Formats: sequence, C-alpha cells, structure tokens
Amino acid sequence: MSARDNILARIRTNSGRSGTTGESELALARSVIAARTRGPQPSLARHDPVTHFIEECGRLKTTVADVADLSSVPREVARYLAEGSLPKAVVGWHEFAALDWAAAGLAFADRPAQGDDLVGVTGCYCAIGETGTLLLLGAAATPKATALLPETHICVVRKSRMAATMEDAFQWMRSEIGEPPRATFFVSGPSRTADIEQTIVIGAHGPYRVHVILIP
Amino acid sequence: MFFKQTASVKLNDPVLQNALKRAKGKFVDGRALGVAQIDNWEDIRTYAAEMRDRVIANLDAYLIEFEKNATRRGAVVHWAETAEEANAIIAGIALKNNVKAVTKSKSMVSEEVALNDALEAVGVTVLETDLGEYILQLAKEPPSHIVAPAVHKTKEDVAELFVAAHHKPRLTDIAAMTREAREELRGRFLAADMGISGANFIIAETGTTLTVTNEGNADLVTTIPRIHCVITGVEKVIPTLEDFATLIRLLPRSAIGQSIANYLTLTTGVKAPDETDGPEQMHIVLVDAGRTKLVGSDMKEMLRCIRCGACMNHCPVYQNVGGHAYGWVYPGPMGSVLTPTYVGIENAGDLPNAATFCGECQVVCPVKIPLPDLMRKWRERQFDRHLRPIGERLAIGAWSFVVARPALYAFATRIGVRIAAWIGGRSGQIHWLPGIDGWTKGRDMPAPQGSTFRDLYARRRKAA
Amino acid sequence: MKVGLFVTCLVDMVRPNIGFATLKLLEDAGCEVVVPAAQTCCGQPGYNSGARAISQQLARKVLAEFKDCDFVVAPSGSCSGQVKVHYVEDLFHDAPDLGEFKKLAAKWFELSDFLINVLKVDNLPGEYAGTVTYHDSCSGLRELGIKSQPRALLAKTGCELAEMNDAEKCCGFGGTFSIKLGEISTRMAENKCVNIAASGAGAIVGGDLGCLLNIEGRLRRNGDDRTKVYHFAEVAAGMVGAGGETGGKMVGK
Repeated sequence: MSARDNILARIRTNSGRSGTTGESELALARSVIAARTRGPQPSLARHDPVTHFIEECGRLKTTVADVADLSSVPREVARYLAEGSLPKAVVGWHEFAALDWAAAGLAFADRPAQGDDLVGVTGCYCAIGETGTLLLLGAAATPKATALLPETHICVVRKSRMAATMEDAFQWMRSEIGEPPRATFFVSGPSRTADIEQTIVIGAHGPYRVHVILIP
Repeated sequence: MFFKQTASVKLNDPVLQNALKRAKGKFVDGRALGVAQIDNWEDIRTYAAEMRDRVIANLDAYLIEFEKNATRRGAVVHWAETAEEANAIIAGIALKNNVKAVTKSKSMVSEEVALNDALEAVGVTVLETDLGEYILQLAKEPPSHIVAPAVHKTKEDVAELFVAAHHKPRLTDIAAMTREAREELRGRFLAADMGISGANFIIAETGTTLTVTNEGNADLVTTIPRIHCVITGVEKVIPTLEDFATLIRLLPRSAIGQSIANYLTLTTGVKAPDETDGPEQMHIVLVDAGRTKLVGSDMKEMLRCIRCGACMNHCPVYQNVGGHAYGWVYPGPMGSVLTPTYVGIENAGDLPNAATFCGECQVVCPVKIPLPDLMRKWRERQFDRHLRPIGERLAIGAWSFVVARPALYAFATRIGVRIAAWIGGRSGQIHWLPGIDGWTKGRDMPAPQGSTFRDLYARRRKAA
Repeated sequence: MKVGLFVTCLVDMVRPNIGFATLKLLEDAGCEVVVPAAQTCCGQPGYNSGARAISQQLARKVLAEFKDCDFVVAPSGSCSGQVKVHYVEDLFHDAPDLGEFKKLAAKWFELSDFLINVLKVDNLPGEYAGTVTYHDSCSGLRELGIKSQPRALLAKTGCELAEMNDAEKCCGFGGTFSIKLGEISTRMAENKCVNIAASGAGAIVGGDLGCLLNIEGRLRRNGDDRTKVYHFAEVAAGMVGAGGETGGKMVGK
C-alpha cells in the first residue's frame, strides 16, 4: 500500500465510507467543479471597473497615466522615467518592440528581463477593477520575469481589457484560451514587506515601483 | 508546564511586549479597516465556510481530481503520510537532480516537518527568502507567528543579524535594511537549482498550486530555478478558480488588512518548450502528517483553516505572550487545536487550556471555525483520559459532588462565605487563600458579603 | 407571568446584593418572581474544564427547577450563554430531550436583554450621577449579542457613559483560567484597569460578576480604592451611591 493509498483510505474511513473512491464521489466533485459557482460579490464589484481600478492603484502605490493610444506609450514611459531619474534603457515584451522608442529617447530590448535589468515594460492579459490588479499570463512572448526582476515595472493596460472582478477575469481566460497557462500572475502594486517591526516598506524582492499606462 | 513557564518569561520581556503591542495595533486595526470595505463580509464568510466543509466531506475525490489535472499539465504529485516521508521525497528529488542550492519561500508545513534540517543533512543549502524567515534563519530561531514570523524581533535585532551575516556597515533605517536584504538575496535567487514553496491553496479544477505573497520572493523562488517543489497539506484543496476568488477576498484582509496581496501566483505544470521562465520539473508533495485524523471527526471544522493568522492576532492571551510560548509551529487559538492533533494531546496539554474562551478568535475567523468549542473538546479528552494535574482533578471532583447536591451545597456555601467574609475583614479584600494563589499573587479577591443570596432571600420571605 | 430568577453561583455566594437588585428590577416592572431554592450552578465551570457528565447533570437539574416558569432571568451573560447556546448546540444536541432544552433556551434571558427587549421598561428605580465606563463580558457579547441593552439601562439612570478603549476585550477572568494561568490573567486584568483609568470614569460597570471580581481585585491590589465596581443591576435598581461598591451595605440582612 502506497502512501497515496493509505492517505485516501484513511480519509474514506474517517468519512464513514468504505472501499476506494468511487465514480459517484468523483462525479459529485466534478459537478461542483463544473458549476463554477461564484461566491457572494461585494458591492465593490459593481463600481465602474476603470474608475475603481484607478482608486485601488492609489491605495497600492501604483502610479497611473492615461494616454491617447498605444503609439503614445514610449513618450509616457520616457516622461515617467525622467520624472523619477530612472535609467533610459528598458527591456520589454515583443508586442511593444515596433513602437517608436527611439523618438522618445529610449533604448528598448526585445527580450525577457535578466537579473540586472532595471526597467521592464509589459502588457497584461487583463486588469481587474475591484482590486487594482494586473493579470499577466506567462508565455514565450509574455515572460513573467520582465514584470518581476526589474526595479521598475511599467504595464500597458487596455481599458477594453478591464474586468470588474477576478471571477470575470477567469471567465475571459476560460473562454479565450481554455486552461490557465503555467504562470498565472496577479500583480497588485509594487512589492512590499512589513516583516521588520510591522513597518511597511515599499520595494522588497519584486519591483520598487509599478506604473500603469492606460490606453483605450 | 512549558506554556505557563515560557509565558511568564514573555510577560516580563519589555522588548517583546513592545513588539506585541505594535503588532496588535497594526493587525487588529488593519483587519477592521479591510473588513469595512466589504459590505457583505458575513455572507462571504458563511459561503467560504460551507465551501471548505463540502470539500473536506469529499476530500479524497477532490484530491484525486487535483492530482489528475496537475499530472496532466506536467507536474509530479507525491503523497507523504508523515513528516519523515515528506522530507525523504524532497531530499530525494534534490539528490537525484544534483541540487546544491535551494531557495525557499515561506511554508508552515515545511516548518512542521523540519524540511530545512533534512535538506541540510544531505548537503543541500537552503536559503529562506521571505524577509521574516530570512531574519529568523540568521537568528536560528523558529517563527512566532504564521504570517509575520519575525514579529518578535526589533529593528536593532535585525541590524545586528545583518552586520554579522552581510559584513556591511550597521544600518538603522528599516527601508535600508530591506534594500540590503534584496541586494544580498538577489544573486542567490538567480543561482538556485531548486525552489521550494508552500501553497496557500491548490485548485482541483486545474491542477494549480498557488501562493499569496507581498514580497516577490515566492515568485523568484518558483520562476527561476529549474526545479520547483511545492509542499502543502492535503486539506488545502479547493474546487475552482472561483473559489479562490472568494477566499482571496477574505485572506489578506483577515491577515493584515490588505484588500489584496501584491502577488497571487498560480502555477500549473512545467514550462512550455518555448518559454524562458519557469521550471523544467514541478513536484507537488501532498502531506498528511495528522490532518486526515480530523476528517469526519468532531473537530473537522479545523480543516477549513486558511492560515490567515487573524485568530492569534486578536487573541488576548497571544497578544500578551507572543507565539513562542505555544512551543511549536502554530501559535494562538489555531495552534491550540492543531498542535495536540499533530503531536498528541499528551504532549501539548497546556495549549487548549491557554484560553479564556472569550470567543474573539471565532468572530474574526474568515471561515467561522468554532475555535473555542474545538479547544473545549480537547479539554474534554484530557478530562476523560485523566491527563490534567491531580490537584485540578480533585478540585473538579469535589465541586461536582457538592454542586449537584443542593442541601450539601447550601451547607458548604453558608459556612464558606462566612469564613471568607471574615478573612476579608474590614477592607473587604482577601489578600491570600490557599489554592488560589494563581489569583492572589497579582490581585486581591473581593470578599463575599457573608451570607448567601438564598439564605437572605429565605429569611426575607419568612419575615414577610 | 411567572419569572424564575436564576441568581448564579457567584452572585449567590459573593454578592447577594446583585441578586436583590435583580429582584427589585423585575418586581418593579410588574413581574411575579420565584426563586427556586435548590438552584446551584448552570454547570459552566465543569463544562469549560471538559467535565461533560456533570455539566449535563447540572443542566437537567436547571431544566427541572425552572420548568414551571414562563421566563427565566439571570444577571449574567455567561450563565445565560451556557443555557441558551451550549445546552442546545452542544450538550444536548443529540439528546432525545433536546426539545425541552430549546424551550428552556427560548424562555431564558440575560437580565438587561429581558428588561429592554421583553419588558421594554421605561423607568428604573435607580438614579446615578457620575461617569461610568462599561465592560462588555465576552459570553454576553459574543454568544448573546448583549451590547446596547446594559447601556440603555444605564442611560435611564442619568449617568454619563465614557466608553473605554477595548471595552470588548476579555478582562482575563475566564473562570478557572484566572487561577490556572494567573499571571497572564493578571496582566489582562491590568490592561483592563489601564483602560478604565484612561476613560476617566469613576466607576466601572459590567454584567458578569466573575469579570467584576477580577477587575476589582486588580484595582484594589493596585491601591485604587476609589474606582467603584458595579453590576449594572445595582446601578439600575438604585442600590449604589456614594461610598457603595459591589458589596457595600448588605441588603436584606
């Protein structure tokens, strides 16, 4: 009898059932899973998602800029980096490679971030209004490392891809790509810790700052 | 009695008392603000409790479903009945894959099984990367809280530890210390062969394991190394992604008052051939180590626990003595139920008695675990098995005999209160009585008036 | 309407004045009050020590003693919680006579809840000029929702209520906890005394004598002989005044 057998057997015995897990029990679990029932939704979930997203970003210390369109992004990135006296070299996702970075005075490297990159530019699969959250789905063209390793994370968010709640985001994901990819990464603000004297410090092992650029 | 003695030391430690006071303000006030954001908090709690109960009632099926989906996505699922088995599995994976350096994000299960020791014993270095756990690793101390492990440490303590470990000038500013830890650890994150994490939940629908963190360390631990090992308890399974969305409304708010944690990292399987991030191997170790004992038992509600720490944050006893007095991995009310479960009531007899049953833990528990009732059940088991000290048992025996016999009770109390009133004298306060010096060491005992209500009432009625 | 008075073992033994205050409040409000003479204890001390058998035995005794009453009233949140919550949800949950205990629970009331929500009293015998602060005992608050009722009673006496910080925090009594883990209990009582002092009130009022004895004991050991310690029944019944504290002049001697 393997550990697996013993553990499952003990669960069954203690639940007052005999034998091994049968089809009816598996079917019950599967039907609960298939139902995908949502829990009670707070009234926060009914606020205008974009407006609420911006409010939550304020609370999380994520800065937000609203620009006309995708082509305005390099200019906004340059402005943000200059304002913070941050480096002018960025590493970013492939979908932004063709934008006019040079005109904005920035160097753009179309590759995943490595340990010493300081500024990462990513998009997101969608954002979530209820909590000011960015949902990044990892893939070859959308590596999570670019959002995680650099000290500065800049994220382009399409307002048309603003989900009201996490449940809505999951629903989109299921209908558009089916199962979650290996890395399903929800980012809400710059990293933080309060492990020393419960004093909140913004900037721990992840980015020190997160800047969201909203486009239509 | 470990708890009582250690508690006494902690009560008289001014540095710890200061730390506890500070933590209480942040956690308690923080949670209140977080909860206030949610207009239907009680509805969500009730739903979450029922959801957890439904899973535990059909736990084997959900675990099988999880295993099926995780395996399909490329993870290897291992089962460990005991702490030793869990350690052997993970050490085995490390050895088989030539792992020299492990980075680790916080996992209470790994503390339970003492995983770090087991890995060090086979020549693998383990680096704790959660800042609080890193500090404790340097200090060679166990955590005193399940969410804020180094809550008992001052910034001066941390400065000292960093000087000794990093060989850099002493710091005084907390942000600077955090920055130094980031810089020290960054290189080690990038060089690790294997990353070990816990899992706040595992999702049956998709075969996903997930972490809920703020620092970013769990992501560095699970994205960079070529092998990712998850160690978690069998009770952590939840049915769907939607259920996670429900629980995540409750967890960070209950823990520290945040509306959301910075990083929710759902990991499913191994990296795709064209991906640059992610591990080549994903191992998930499902640990029993006493959990299945609770299934179907009169304490099964304890399995709902989502490890938020709200109970200990709000427990007036914990607030006064801190976590180390509880002697093991899990402190506070949840520890008082779990530790006897995992190590045996005969080895943890103090803990269920370290409570006044004020009920605050149950009020703040996001999944409505009836913690005082569960602690009381442990007291019942102690009583039935004669595990309490003989003095206590005799006292209960004597009380039981008298209180069930009205005439004897009337007689005994009539005499007792008259004597006690006399001892109290003019001050009306008793300064010491044999057997109750637990009380009288720090307090007077207000003396009885001298006659019982029943006697006075009977006299009054006769006179009328 | 026959109201049974469950005086509670602590009140019976230590502060009969609280029992007489309760009696006065009920009779003034028009109740016919009976006091079953053989009553001893609701069983909570044994219950919380894990002694189920004696807890059940005492519960059946209570059930029998108060069978003929339309209502039962107790000046204690913890005894009332034992009856209304623990008898029904735990001790007799699977018993054949659960129905009887449900009936007992339904007709059982903590005193302030009975006065405010059942009798809906308008006037009270007591008048109190001064500032008091109120300690919410754990069982009454969390098991029975007793919070506004005692405050409503106090308001009718004319006193001024200065809420303390952490009014809802456990004072550290916890029954035998106060002796078994006396040092922690004392620290919790001390924390409560600090909050009482900070409120500026001249008296601390509560609804459970266990808490009140614990708090008073710490105040007096600290050398504080001035802060009064009252059960709300005593204040509402007009049985305290200048110089009085729990105990004071014995009533009905």
